[in-house]
Amino acid sequence: MTEGVEQRVQRWLDEAATAMGGRPEGRRDALLELEATIFDRVDEKTREGKLPDEAVEDVLNALGDPAEVGSTFLPPAPLLPPSQARSYLLHTAVVFVAHFLVVVGATVAEHPFALGPVRILPIDNPRNVLDLLVRGLGTLFFDAGAVLAGYVLLSRLGRLSLLRRVTLGARLDARRCVQNACFLGLVFLVANFFRDNLLALYLPGPDGVTQIPFAGPGITSNLMLLDIWIVTAIARELFYAKRGERRITLVLDVVSNLFGLFALLRIVATGSLVDLSLAQSVLGLNADGVGALLNTVFVLLALVAAAILAGRVVRRSWRLKLLHR
Amino acid sequence: MSSLFDKIGAELRRGLVQIVALSLLRERLYGYQIVKILAAAGLETEEGTLYPLLRRLESQGLLLSEWDTQGSRPRKYYELSPEGRAALPRLEEVWRDITGAVGKILESDSPAVLAEAEAK
Repeated sequence: MTEGVEQRVQRWLDEAATAMGGRPEGRRDALLELEATIFDRVDEKTREGKLPDEAVEDVLNALGDPAEVGSTFLPPAPLLPPSQARSYLLHTAVVFVAHFLVVVGATVAEHPFALGPVRILPIDNPRNVLDLLVRGLGTLFFDAGAVLAGYVLLSRLGRLSLLRRVTLGARLDARRCVQNACFLGLVFLVANFFRDNLLALYLPGPDGVTQIPFAGPGITSNLMLLDIWIVTAIARELFYAKRGERRITLVLDVVSNLFGLFALLRIVATGSLVDLSLAQSVLGLNADGVGALLNTVFVLLALVAAAILAGRVVRRSWRLKLLHR
Repeated sequence: MSSLFDKIGAELRRGLVQIVALSLLRERLYGYQIVKILAAAGLETEEGTLYPLLRRLESQGLLLSEWDTQGSRPRKYYELSPEGRAALPRLEEVWRDITGAVGKILESDSPAVLAEAEAK
């Protein structure tokens, strides 16, 4: 078998792998099985007198679109069961409204006040409709990500039974969403060194958002950029799962990761982001509720990300070893 | 219209593959061998149908699988598990009942009359 033929098959398999769901070991297993089948067919065709290149093209064409074959071979597992997708959207909406009211409260408040563990500082930025709208959108993006994280955790624990019968029909790819969440965790881990206050980014006080310069006094906070990144990643998963629109998901992929990278650059450049300290949340020192809880989640995700990356390297080398034995 | 026939035909075949695959796997075979046996028997089956089915049967405990890495390339062999061997005769019985019932309906001029006759 020539090197070109093997590379062609490998490219096809790589594309099939991107569409596969399931656990890593299952994907590895399915890819090896698929690869063995492809080469069995190629061998058969070359015995019939075809050149290897032609045989490979014939076989791969007969198998069809690699992404389709990959998703049929090992269908993507839903991050949230379809029965919970509608419930997730409803909860996001409820949390958004609550969060938005907090923003409104902070906009009109003259003095700091507390709502349970959340400390709210008056917004001293220009109080106009546009400002409020931008802050409201920021909360929407944040809420969508936060509620999704909560849902995934709860559904994994099997404790979520709310509105189970309501079906939206969307399927989220667990693997890709976890990867996204892990990347977010890494971003937050970096940001952790530059802690300030989670809500202060869009509910600024004396050291609030107006003190984060990047390209002038921006109203777009780093956290909001991260939230946009989460939401575009979710949208991508919904498109991918529901319609299989690969071009759209690719565009969303690029857009969402650009937001993620931009946020990372801003965090590094401004040296300030959020009140998310592992020491605070885990040790309970001055823990500040939502921020501390999220920080714990994000740091754990960052650790998962590191484990996934390490596992990927080991898997890759194991697979190569098996193939060339 | 022919694409509709193709679609329905493919669905019917997909339903059959389960019992046929279980029956074939009384002996140790790998996926592509099964594809070829099915094609030779006139039951053309795509890999995208067969392999997920084999995985499902394996996860249900009816099949066992094992990688053989001794040959020129690794192959995953499947075989009936003890549970699968125990279940196969019962599944064959269910299959014979189904084909008998379907045969009766297809050959009957009036399914309603058939139902009445069965009731008596």
